[in-house]
Amino acid sequence: MKDISDGADLMTTAREALLRELLPVLPAEHKYSALMIANAMAIAAREHRLGPDAGQSETARLQNLLADCGLPAPPSSDSHALRRILCSAIRAGRFDEPARATRLTQALMHTAEAWVAISNPKALRTASQPLARNEG
Amino acid sequence: MTEQTVHNAPRTDTAAAIARWLCDAAHADRAAITRYEKLPGGAIQDNWSLDATLEGGPWSGAHRWVLRKDATSSVAVSRTRAEEFAILQVAHGAGVRAPRPLFLCRDKSVLNAEFFVMERLPGLAQGHRLTREPALVPDGDALAFALGANLARIHAIRPPRPALGMLAMPANPAVETIAEYRAYLDALDDAHPALEWGLRWCERRAPAAFDITLIHRDYRTGNYLVDQGRLSGVLDWEFAGWGDPREDLGWFTARCWRFNGVEREAGGIAALDPFMQGYESVAGRGISREDLDYWQVMAHLRWAVIALQQAQRHIAGGERSLELALTGRIVHELEYEVLQLIARADR
Repeated sequence: MKDISDGADLMTTAREALLRELLPVLPAEHKYSALMIANAMAIAAREHRLGPDAGQSETARLQNLLADCGLPAPPSSDSHALRRILCSAIRAGRFDEPARATRLTQALMHTAEAWVAISNPKALRTASQPLARNEG
Repeated sequence: MTEQTVHNAPRTDTAAAIARWLCDAAHADRAAITRYEKLPGGAIQDNWSLDATLEGGPWSGAHRWVLRKDATSSVAVSRTRAEEFAILQVAHGAGVRAPRPLFLCRDKSVLNAEFFVMERLPGLAQGHRLTREPALVPDGDALAFALGANLARIHAIRPPRPALGMLAMPANPAVETIAEYRAYLDALDDAHPALEWGLRWCERRAPAAFDITLIHRDYRTGNYLVDQGRLSGVLDWEFAGWGDPREDLGWFTARCWRFNGVEREAGGIAALDPFMQGYESVAGRGISREDLDYWQVMAHLRWAVIALQQAQRHIAGGERSLELALTGRIVHELEYEVLQLIARADR
């Protein structure tokens, strides 16, 4: 336990105050804005908690993927640079081979899941949100 | 035109300018603007409800119309209002349920932008409500069937059409679309591996055989009006052009456009079958599951590219807006859907 609130706790508490105290008394035409603000605050709070881990895991996966297709590890572990190198390799067809393609899809899926858990966790597939009946 | 009057309502220069122009366009002696109000929605186009009473000429009487003009900011792929007007004329003439286009104004001195006037159809378009409130859509299967049949009527419009001579003719729609999205991604500061992988996946599976028809390119829940449970008309023709008709089928059924009905593949309204039965009843053919999966991947890629464009307006375009900023955050779930579809198709 921390002695005082961190950024995520402040954001979460402020959001609760917005939804509980202000939203009910706002005129109808401002409710949509208030809900957007509440959504932005929820994303920011989750990013504060989960963002550092999501970023570090993504960087590790990017390095593994580059090693997987035999590209030399770049000197920088900057995720922007790694993403750019991976994109060039994808476009050049270096992940077309089926087994490598599957590994790429899975690694990118883990990264996407981590960011969806921050931006909109409700969009993650769960047992209660199956594919549409006729899909697949 | 002999005279124009403006009374009972917006006594503004704008209303007066519209009234003057209407007298000319509708061959009326007098035009009174009784209502001119901005309609909600439309990040790219401005839509205004326009009530007008005309005296004299073929349009004499009271009318409820919509005036559609460019908003301050627009995306590069969006058509001009004159092009959209021509497309609506062709579509409406082919029996597609859409607002009837009435008058086009290319003279930018009237409203500082091109605009056109079209009929105002009754109904509600909000996707969140249509997919959540059964009272609005008592028979989802019937609505989906009508939407499928209506889309097939758009796809029955084939080149050449002299009135649509301004529309570019793609040599290979999927390949050209992929190149367009890549060029856009390359212009951004950051790289997006999941989108890049989606584009590579689509490139390697790009269909060798395809039809070219008119396609709407934004035919989805949220862009059509439902009145008393029935399809009233399809809106927002600003992205229409020649293309592979399967693109529209993928867009309409993509998970990202199902709102509160993610388990109902036909736009969150109904299962896929009634929608495709409606489509096949007019088109005489359907789409394979494999092709639909392909065009659903393309749909999520397209929405991701557009969401990135919206985010850029906020981040770099000097148009600070929470709505645009939040649209950018949708990219994560679109990437996730692209990967889900690829994983399932490759299984």
